Amino acid sequence: MKPLSVLLACVLLLAGATLALAGAGQEEAAGPVNLVYWTHEDPNRTQLEEKLIAEFQSQNPNITVERETSPSGPIREKILTAFAVQKAPDIFNIGAEEEWQYITGERVAPVDLEAIGYSSYKALQNDYLPVTFNGASYDGKIYGLPLEITNWCIYINNKYYREVGLDPATDYPRTWEQMVAVAEKLTIREGEVIKRRGFDFRYPYYLIFWVPMANQLGGTVLSSDGKSAVVDSAAWIKLLQYMADFGPNGRNLGAPTYTNARKTFNRDDNSIAMCISGLYQYDRIKAENEAFLPDVSIVPYPRFKDAVSDNGAAVYGHYYMVNASSSPAAQKAAWKLNMYFCSHVEEFLDQIGLTIPSKKLLKTAVYKNKKFADVFIDDMATANFVMTHESGPQIQDVLSEMVQGVMLTKVPPAEAARRGKEKIDDILRQ
Amino acid sequence: MGIRRRQYWGWIFVLPAVLFFALFSYFPMISSFVASFHAKDILSLKAPKFIGLQNYIYIFTSQDFLNSIKATLIFAVGCFIPLVSVSLVIATIVVSLRRFPKIQNVFKMIYYSPAIVSGVVSATIWLLIFDPRGLANQFINFLANNPTPVDFKWLALPAMARLSTIIIYFWKYVGYFVIIYFAGLVSIPTSLYEVAEIDGASAWKKFWRITIPLLMPTIEFVLIVAFVQCVRTFSIQYVFVQSGSPREAINVVSLNIYTTALQYHSLGRATAMSVSLFCFILIFTVVQLRIYRSERVSYV
Repeated sequence: MKPLSVLLACVLLLAGATLALAGAGQEEAAGPVNLVYWTHEDPNRTQLEEKLIAEFQSQNPNITVERETSPSGPIREKILTAFAVQKAPDIFNIGAEEEWQYITGERVAPVDLEAIGYSSYKALQNDYLPVTFNGASYDGKIYGLPLEITNWCIYINNKYYREVGLDPATDYPRTWEQMVAVAEKLTIREGEVIKRRGFDFRYPYYLIFWVPMANQLGGTVLSSDGKSAVVDSAAWIKLLQYMADFGPNGRNLGAPTYTNARKTFNRDDNSIAMCISGLYQYDRIKAENEAFLPDVSIVPYPRFKDAVSDNGAAVYGHYYMVNASSSPAAQKAAWKLNMYFCSHVEEFLDQIGLTIPSKKLLKTAVYKNKKFADVFIDDMATANFVMTHESGPQIQDVLSEMVQGVMLTKVPPAEAARRGKEKIDDILRQ
Repeated sequence: MGIRRRQYWGWIFVLPAVLFFALFSYFPMISSFVASFHAKDILSLKAPKFIGLQNYIYIFTSQDFLNSIKATLIFAVGCFIPLVSVSLVIATIVVSLRRFPKIQNVFKMIYYSPAIVSGVVSATIWLLIFDPRGLANQFINFLANNPTPVDFKWLALPAMARLSTIIIYFWKYVGYFVIIYFAGLVSIPTSLYEVAEIDGASAWKKFWRITIPLLMPTIEFVLIVAFVQCVRTFSIQYVFVQSGSPREAINVVSLNIYTTALQYHSLGRATAMSVSLFCFILIFTVVQLRIYRSERVSYV
């Protein structure tokens, strides 16, 4: 065979294959809809959502759903990269502080009211508590349906409290100053090495656990016009000093380099006595280590002794969002599925401890009988919604550097605050 | 069949590889180079905006990038010297076990096995060792006979975080270079050593006068590959930073590229950093090749 003929044959084969693939694409658009849904790992939720997906598929035989899970840290990068290369899933969810950039960047579609059976955004909002759509409302539209609206409180291992002569019902810390004293009592050390932490923060999530602490002292991240950072104010310097005193170069109570406190708490393995988490943690403990449940209590998020604002940890949400680049048929099907999930509020609360705060839920026996739900709802009443800003993840990254600076590398609080302001201002200028 | 026709066939057989390289290596390289002159948000659907040299000016005047160069050089030098020297010593010892091939193979396997573990897995294993309650603290406290355990803060102090990443990298790659040196060492004809022995040369003299000169092509290869690998380090620092270690001390250029692109969304700046790193590695490699080319020896 002549070499030229071989080349020609290859080119023809490739062209044929390309045309065939293009044809297949067109056929698919007119036929059944296949939805790809990416979400973070939560074994309890996987069980429930897979059951709901199976029901949804049997009710809508032309729709199939592929549900994929990833760990909650890496999924943020996975989704971002997928959007960058136009290979994003039809449905996804990440925290409200991360989702904002997808909304302002017009990468997610507004809720399709017709598909979910509502006449207006107002009618949709009326069915839920006012805070529900704070993280998904932009420019008069709503861009997500709630998967959970959460705030964090303090989880206590009662056994360790009693072990050091404390009563978990009365001696729990109401203030951050008391938190240090109680944590000190609960901490077990061998020389400099901590064997059991009394308490530790939930480090990577600074916008949710740490900014509210600054709010209590009167600090905010941005100026009122949103044009510059004000993380160098007296409130922030005081807070940074608190973190420095808490860390390994101060009272040595904990640090960002230790194993995630929330994870080890569930094991009840004498490594942590108190941690920060949401109501869902209770059901995770139930699933992982049910015998430990009677020894768990949950108390409100502490305030500083001289707080000027009575707010707890920030309220944040995870929303089911739909890719704006998906086909119109896929978008419609995706909103339909999302609404199907949201219509099972009682199962979400009862089985996995996730609150989809519909007004209907608050009237149910499930809500009224849910242990510790009242602690979270009461604390939520005075909480601020997490900072939603298109540069939220980058700002969180700077806050993390500030904390690491004072806790680990002995940067003086005022200097850490100055550097933080400079960096956030630089982000805002871009 | 004429020579011309055979050349056609040659081109046809080579074409898939050329296309593969063009598509997956050269195209991304050229595209990165072009992107480095543009402002582009990774999440935005807007077209990239041409901004000339602004990305380069920004990174070379930014404290953050200059700190990354410093962190990379500290890591590269800290890793490179022990890697190339210790692996040569180990390879020499392993080669000397010629008469015990089974033991030799076991040693080769032991040294090489960490190299096949992924960087993320290695770093995760070592995170447990460097945990305040982990083996590293226990071992040092035992050696120092400390009455009360001291926490050396392997992950928390900047200097210790640097040292920890160097230790992991050394552990992971030393075996790889042992195998390369081993291949170079066994290719040296034993007759040369026998002749030197008859002439009464000591082991030290044989090493410096026969082994090192004849091993120069392998050493040259190891020096270049080791340095380039050290400069491109990423996964260990990434895992450390994700685990709460202070970023500044270990914010190597590759990690900064990742952060700039995926956390700060600035694709233009990230590619400008990548191009700068590429140029540095290229210049370094060319200089090294020129230096070593003049030092090649042959006894044949």
